[in-house]
Amino acid sequence: MLTAAIKPKKRVIFLYLLIPMAVYIFVVFIPLVAAFFYSFFEWKGGPNKTFIGFGNYAALIKDTTFWESFGHNMYIVIACIIGQVGLAFVFAMMISSRLVRLKGIHRTFCFFPNTISAVSIGFIWTMIYDYRRGILNWFLKLIGRPDMVKVWLNEPDLVLPLISIPLIWQYIGFYMVIIISAIASVDKEIFEVAELDGANGIQRAFHIVLPLIKNTLLVCVTLCIAGNMKVFDHIFVMTAGGPGNASNVMAMYGYKIAFDQQNMGYGTTISLAIFVLSMTVIGGSQVLVKILTKEKETL
Amino acid sequence: MIMSSSNGIEDTIVLDRIPEAGIRGEKILSSLSRRVQSVILNGILGLFSITCIFPLVWLFYSSLKLKRNFNSNIIGLPKEPTFENYIRIMTNPDYHIWSSMVNSARNTVMSVALIIFFGFIVGYILARIRFRGNFLIKVMFLLGLVIPVYSLMVPIYVLFSRAGLSNKWFTLVIPYLAFGLPIAIFLVDGYIRAVPKELEEAAAIDGSSFTRTLFQIIMPLSTPILVTIGIIQTFSCWNEFVFALLLLKRQSIQTVPLAMTQFTGQFSSDYPKIMAALLLTMSPIIVFYFVFSRQIIKGMVSGAVKG
Repeated sequence: MLTAAIKPKKRVIFLYLLIPMAVYIFVVFIPLVAAFFYSFFEWKGGPNKTFIGFGNYAALIKDTTFWESFGHNMYIVIACIIGQVGLAFVFAMMISSRLVRLKGIHRTFCFFPNTISAVSIGFIWTMIYDYRRGILNWFLKLIGRPDMVKVWLNEPDLVLPLISIPLIWQYIGFYMVIIISAIASVDKEIFEVAELDGANGIQRAFHIVLPLIKNTLLVCVTLCIAGNMKVFDHIFVMTAGGPGNASNVMAMYGYKIAFDQQNMGYGTTISLAIFVLSMTVIGGSQVLVKILTKEKETL
Repeated sequence: MIMSSSNGIEDTIVLDRIPEAGIRGEKILSSLSRRVQSVILNGILGLFSITCIFPLVWLFYSSLKLKRNFNSNIIGLPKEPTFENYIRIMTNPDYHIWSSMVNSARNTVMSVALIIFFGFIVGYILARIRFRGNFLIKVMFLLGLVIPVYSLMVPIYVLFSRAGLSNKWFTLVIPYLAFGLPIAIFLVDGYIRAVPKELEEAAAIDGSSFTRTLFQIIMPLSTPILVTIGIIQTFSCWNEFVFALLLLKRQSIQTVPLAMTQFTGQFSSDYPKIMAALLLTMSPIIVFYFVFSRQIIKGMVSGAVKG
C-alpha cells in the first residue's frame, strides 16, 4: 500500500475504476440479481410474467430430465478426472524420464488441442465418428470388424463415453504441462537416490512424486471439476444432448428450456442450479480430499 | 521404506557392501531393460503426440480433395490436390466464413486491449491503494472467477436486448471484457505486490503524477504479466461460443464459432469443404501457437493455476 503522501485523490481513483466497474456490474451483477428474480416467475419470454413463488424450484426438484443431466455431468467429471488428470500424470511421469527424447515437441503437440475452440474440436470428432465417412468406422473395417460399424453418436449407451473422449483428449496436454512443471520442481536428488535404492518407475511415481505434488494435483482436479460441470460447446456441436436425453448436460438442458422452448423463468432456475451444484460438487470434493488425506496422515 | 532412502549417506554405505561382480552383471541387465523401457516410453508418448496433431494433418490434406474423391477414400492422400474448396469459401460471401474471421479478429483485438488496459489499472489500484471499498471490490471480482457464464444466460440475453446492445458490431466486447477482467486483475494484483513500492515513492518525489507513474513507470515494468493476460484472452475471445450464440443473430456480424455451426449445417455432407473452412478459421490460432508455443503454454498454464 502506498503512503498517504503520494496517494492519489479519491476522485482520480474513482474515475479510473468507473468504466471497468460499470461494465462488470452490468454484465455480471445485474444479471445475477435478475436471475434470482426471474426464477420466481412463470415466464414464456413474452411481456407477461406470473409470480409463482418457489414453483420453479419445486418443479426442478421433481424434474427427472434435469437430474439425469446432472448425472451426465458427474459422469463426464469423473471420466475427465481419470482421463485428463490421471493420464496427464502418467504421461508427465513418462516425459520426465531421462530416457525420453523430443520433450519439447511432445509438449508442444500435446498442448495444441487446448488452443482450438471447443466448437472446432466438436466438429472434428463428429467427422471422426461419422457413419459413412468417419475414421473410426474406416478403422474398424480395416481391421476386419465391419460388424462393429455403427452410427456412433446415435447409440444412447455409448454416447457419453464417446463425448468424453474428445474432452479428455483436448485437455490432457494442459494438465500434463502443469504436472510436468510440478515434477520439475521436485528435487532431482530424490529421484537419483530412489533409483539407486531400486525403486522402479511405477514405485517412484506413486510413492515419491505423487505425495510431493499432491497440491498441484488437487488444483488440477478442481479445475477439471469446474470445467466439466459447465461443459456445453462440445455437446451443442456433437449431439445437442441427444439421442433423446442420453447426452444432455445441465447447461445444454438449461439452454434448450430457456431458448428453444422459450420457458425463460424455468430456464433461469436451471441456470442458477448449475451454479449452486457446481459449487457444491467442488466444495464437496475438497472436503472429501481433506478427509482422505488426513486419514492417511494419522495412519 | 522407499521414502526413508532420502538419506544419501545411508545409500552409499549400502552400495559399498554390494560385491563388484554383482554390480557389473546388474549393469548389463539394466542397460538392456533401459533400452526396452526407452522404446516403450518414447513409443507411447510419440503415439499420443501424433494423435494430438493428426486431426490437423488429416484436415489439411483432406481439404485439398474434392467431395467425391474424399467420399471414395477418406484417409488416402489427395491424388490431384486442389485449392478449389478454399477458393470457393474465400470468394463466396454467402458462406460468411471470411467475414466471420474479420469479425472475430476485431472482437478479439478490441476485447484483449481493453482487458489488458482496465485489468492493469484495477489490478494496480487494488494492490497498492488503500481506500474504503477496496476489499469489497476485490471480493466482487473474485466472485466473477467462480460464476459460470451459463448461470447468467437468460438474464444477460434479456438485459442486452432490452438495452439495445444485442446484434451490434461491438456487442461481444462488453461480456468479453467483463468476464476477462477478474483473471486479469488477479494476475496484475499478484505481480504488482512483488514490485517494490519505493519505485513509486521515488517517482512521486521527482514530481511524477499518479497517472504518469502508472503508465510510464509501472506499466512497462508489468509487461510480462500483461503479455500473459493477452495470450490467455486472445485464445478465449477467439474461441468463445456461448455469448456469440446468445447475443448475435445477424449473419454479417457473426464470429467464427457461430459461423462454423451454420456452415456445417448447410454443407453437412461436403466434408472437404467443412475441413477447409475449419482449417481456415483455425489458421490464425495455429500460426500464433506454433510460433510462440513456449510463451503461450507458459502463459496459459500460469494463468489457470494462479486463477
